[in-house]
Amino acid sequence: MDIQYLGEHLLPGQLGNLFIVLSFTAALLSSVAYYFASNQNELENNSWHKIGRLAFYTHGLSVIAVMVTLFYIIFNHYFEYQYVWQHSSKSLPVRYMMSCFWEGQEGSFLLWSIWHVVLGFILIKKAGKFEAPVMTIFSSVQVFLSSMLLGIYIFDYHLGSNPFILLREHPEYMELPFVKVPEYLTNLDGRGLNPLLQNYWMTIHPPILFLGFASTLVPFAYAMAGLWKKQHAEWVVPALPWTYFGVMILGTGILMGGAWAYESLSFGGFWAWDPVENASLVPWLVMVGGAHVMLIYKSRKQSLFTAYVLMILTFILILYSTFLTRSGILGNTSVHAFTDLGMSGQLLVYLFFYVLIAAILLIVNYKTINADNVEDNSTSREFWMFIGALVLLVSAFQITFTTSIPVINKLFGSNLAPPTKAVEHYNSWQIPFAIIVALLMAVTQFLKYKQSDLKTTFKKLMISFVIAAIATVIAIFTLEIYNGFLIALFFTSFLAITSNIDYIFKVLNGEIRKAGASIAHIGFGMILLGALIATGKSRVISQNTSGIDISKLGKEFNNMENIMLAKHDTLQMGEYFLSYKGRRIEGVNHYFDIDYFKRNEKGKYDLAFTLSPIVQTNPRMGNSAEPDTKHYLHKDVYTHITYAEMEPAEEAGHNHDDEHGYKKYASATMAIGDTIFGSKSLIVLENIYKEIDSVKFHFSGSDIAVGATFKIIDIHNKISFAKPIYLIKGNMVSPIDAEVEHMGVKLSFKNIHPDNGKIDIDLSEKDTGSQEFIILKAIVFPFINVLWLGCVIMIIGTVLAIRERLKKSRLNIA
Amino acid sequence: MKKIHIIILVVIAISIAAIMGTVADSSTYATFNVAVANEGDEYHVVGKYVKDKGIEYNPQQNANRCVFYLKDNENKELKVIYNGAKPQDFEMSEQIVVTGKAEDGIFIADKILMKCPSKYNNTSDPSKTSTSSDT
Repeated sequence: MDIQYLGEHLLPGQLGNLFIVLSFTAALLSSVAYYFASNQNELENNSWHKIGRLAFYTHGLSVIAVMVTLFYIIFNHYFEYQYVWQHSSKSLPVRYMMSCFWEGQEGSFLLWSIWHVVLGFILIKKAGKFEAPVMTIFSSVQVFLSSMLLGIYIFDYHLGSNPFILLREHPEYMELPFVKVPEYLTNLDGRGLNPLLQNYWMTIHPPILFLGFASTLVPFAYAMAGLWKKQHAEWVVPALPWTYFGVMILGTGILMGGAWAYESLSFGGFWAWDPVENASLVPWLVMVGGAHVMLIYKSRKQSLFTAYVLMILTFILILYSTFLTRSGILGNTSVHAFTDLGMSGQLLVYLFFYVLIAAILLIVNYKTINADNVEDNSTSREFWMFIGALVLLVSAFQITFTTSIPVINKLFGSNLAPPTKAVEHYNSWQIPFAIIVALLMAVTQFLKYKQSDLKTTFKKLMISFVIAAIATVIAIFTLEIYNGFLIALFFTSFLAITSNIDYIFKVLNGEIRKAGASIAHIGFGMILLGALIATGKSRVISQNTSGIDISKLGKEFNNMENIMLAKHDTLQMGEYFLSYKGRRIEGVNHYFDIDYFKRNEKGKYDLAFTLSPIVQTNPRMGNSAEPDTKHYLHKDVYTHITYAEMEPAEEAGHNHDDEHGYKKYASATMAIGDTIFGSKSLIVLENIYKEIDSVKFHFSGSDIAVGATFKIIDIHNKISFAKPIYLIKGNMVSPIDAEVEHMGVKLSFKNIHPDNGKIDIDLSEKDTGSQEFIILKAIVFPFINVLWLGCVIMIIGTVLAIRERLKKSRLNIA
Repeated sequence: MKKIHIIILVVIAISIAAIMGTVADSSTYATFNVAVANEGDEYHVVGKYVKDKGIEYNPQQNANRCVFYLKDNENKELKVIYNGAKPQDFEMSEQIVVTGKAEDGIFIADKILMKCPSKYNNTSDPSKTSTSSDT
């Protein structure tokens, strides 16, 4: 390497590497020191304890320094660094620079790591006697995470992937000719951020999701500390608000992912049961179950073993989901799985390390943990809370199992492919679980701990039952829900909402600050209800616009969800009439302006709204479509482009059969009453007549003239008539064609068969072949706002619950 | 028997049912030879788009039908009819997974998943990307 490269900035990289190594060693030191500290008799202020704390501070500051350095090189466009070159470009707006930071795996591990640091700093201040054991676990996790960024070779094993590696030293790019030129940097531009990620959701979704991931570490660390230090009775209380916090943040992160998919990915919905979505949903389900079991323990000193298992499992599942999404194993089953950066081995070691330790601790302590007696009284609140947690666990298991099909293939060499109808598969399992969970949410709060009188409980619930039943009956008829499972889910989730509202007023006397749990349950009920209506009753309106021709389309008709719309053409879709106005090009974005008209009482068309779905061009990464959605209070109209010519076709002018742009579509021999099909119309021969105005059509008595009347029904069921004429003038056949211009249909009367009274007809249609067109898919999601409102309410409820919990634990300490 | 034992049994039963259900619902990765030999059965076939033969897509006539050829991992080529709109950047795909069944020697796909090497992930084959990046 004798080349003297010009204009490189090597200092930030060297500093970055220094901080990476420092963060790794400091985490290691902190973990070891805290380990010894927690074995000391005097728990605080021994020297190990001080070293542990100092080392964790050093670690935390180093991680922050790594982040600052990485951000600095991205901000300054130092493309000599492979990470910067790979994930950004000079033209990238500053607001998306944060997204570059976590687009790559290295950056996302760093983000995760930073949240652990922040949580660790808080725990050092707040954890009290739990500080040493909890921070031992925390620091050990940080050892693993920091090692992901090391990027060093230990013998032949490549440990971690370093974000500060130079482009010209990166194994994949070092052989490229341009990096061998000393002044290669002068004109170098980065490859740019994936356009899918240039989106405000991508700026807020990953930090929230990773904070959610990070927050599962706190209850896990407490649980491990509890097992290890045999503080079985003590760990639950401090860990509980953290568990709520995790439920809230991880839940928000998942829902934001759904919102992102809905608003800017062309998934056609907010939840597709994609493996990557599932991977974050599963830990959340288990954590929600765990939070409830911890609550049982707090109130009744029962089910401790289950609480341990669920909180440990939550964190393990976070690691497992990281493994699934980062190892490339999902390759053929998910659109957005990462490829392997050679870290899957490391991730597995990480996973098994904690599985092993947790398993050993659980087995060793099995006897000392209070026998896991579930109150055997099925009228008690804790009994049904426990059942609810189990349902969530089984639900999580089902999702995990299906998502893990590629892993099963790897392990057993099988050839299983994920279910073809994935959404139906998941729904068929998850809807029954949701029905039970919603029912439990509705009823359980009214039960008392230990034992309840069923009669009074039922009396209290009566009014909610009646309201929910009435609402369900109304919904069946107005929303036309006929599926039994959906009706049941509608009822139970509505019941969950009404009975929790009732609970707030009846039992809590409307004291909102104590009603955190009830409000969260109302929110979750609304999420279920909104999801049920919005997806269960979503209508693809970009199909069956014709009302004719169904038989010709055959059995696949229902799959036909895309429709072609030519420029200036109008098509009916559902209650709307769509007209494609044309495209606007702004930079890489092609906006396709589509007017949605509605017919008013007078039969006139009023513009309802205009949507402009986008196709973003990107020669390197491929074009991507971004939908546009009209939000109403009670429904959304969602539209996305499934296909468009990206180089606009030349406007009309050539390729036509005649000067008016008509092209022969079909010929037929017809008798009166016969029907032929046009591409967008249905044409019936009504009659044949001889009484023709000879003056108007300039012919004399010796000429032969026969007229035909056709009824043409277009796809909007509009009817027009056309009267072509068959004319023999002298000895010349000179038929007069009939054109129905607004339908783009022309009929030519070609011949008469006197023997059987049939006539020959040519049908021509206006050629749209050279006209610009788009293929689109449009879906109406009714009442989707119930879902989004439910999300907000659930978050508010959880915040209230955390506040109340913190207040109580403060009182307990005091 | 205590209630908890019954509950545990129920949980185990549902879990086993979930496993069985998943296996029953799941499809199989296969090659075209297998799919053709078992006409009418659902399979996932992984392959590469045969660029030379092009893709036939006439949205004016039918916006929900595209026809192309796919070469599977055993290098067997088969005509594929996909009942849907032509995916954006079909030509750029590295690898395609089609889901569907064989009928009369033609593979009728109702789902298509494309793997574009650089679309969703970070590392990619440098030979594919170097030409566009060194300017």
